[in-house]
Amino acid sequence: MVVTVDVKLPEDSELTVQEVDLSAATLFAGSFHLGKYCEHANNEFMLCRMEEQDPRKCINEGKVVTACTMDFFRKVKKACLSEFNQYANCVDKSSGDFSLTQCRKTQGVYDKCMLEKLNIERPAFGYFCEARVHDTKRPKPPVEPKAVYPDATPALPEDREKVPARFGSRFYWMTE
Amino acid sequence: MADACQVVRKQDLPPPGGYKPIPYKRLPAKQYFSGYAMIAGYLGITAAGLYIYSLNYKKIKRDEIEMRSAKMAIYPMLLAERDREYLKQLRRNRDAEAELMKDVPGWEVGTYYGERVYQNVPADALVEPIFHEYYAHADPREWIRRTYLKLRS
Repeated sequence: MVVTVDVKLPEDSELTVQEVDLSAATLFAGSFHLGKYCEHANNEFMLCRMEEQDPRKCINEGKVVTACTMDFFRKVKKACLSEFNQYANCVDKSSGDFSLTQCRKTQGVYDKCMLEKLNIERPAFGYFCEARVHDTKRPKPPVEPKAVYPDATPALPEDREKVPARFGSRFYWMTE
Repeated sequence: MADACQVVRKQDLPPPGGYKPIPYKRLPAKQYFSGYAMIAGYLGITAAGLYIYSLNYKKIKRDEIEMRSAKMAIYPMLLAERDREYLKQLRRNRDAEAELMKDVPGWEVGTYYGERVYQNVPADALVEPIFHEYYAHADPREWIRRTYLKLRS
């Protein structure tokens, strides 16, 4: 594998947090309110992830995202459990791809409960597809400067030492 | 013998009144519409169909955007979870390789006898291993399962 001992990987204890152990239907049913509730944490994590392009550097942001998601679902469980379960059940069983189209009635009941008890309004249908501007305190990673190459390397002298190839020929079946 | 040959023979002739005329005249099928009416009908049906399609098209596009939106809302959580498990697995792979190759003199983990695969990246940079390397120390069944999932998705 290409991961050498020089590559610092976080310890398992740093990476172990309580994970969100929920089914796809449940996540889809809660997705809109979840995205609204955890918008800041999600934006922070996704910006970090896209800017750094390295999963090791965004562990803490990711933990915040997971903690926020857990918090959200705990609140839903406390406030609107039956409405949410009804909606998630509908999303699970009405289509093959967890489509939300089929479940407008149960969705209406669930949205009403969320608005009344947790004061989270359901965002418009395309809210999370829109481009977002996020203001963060994390410093921007330095931009890699444009590579400057010296002039072409002069050719090797004619009487250079000619050592055999270290790993053999790539045409080993022809030469051996 | 001679008597037998005295039969009156009848010559094969046309029926009285002659043969019937040969029916060579074309009998086209009955035409319900003229050409212009058919073109007009085609245009009319197409226009009506497009109108009904446009009514559905808006709804379907709306639903697609909604589903994409829902996916993007839960994506950060899934990605965070995936990243943690991925890094854990990289550590497991590295430990497994160290354990496997401990008896080979000169072998350094992640390199070919001390020679690094990627020369131009910093030593600390995380280069994501390719799929087969990632599953090199795993159960082959897991590898097949993941490959199958990849091919189907």
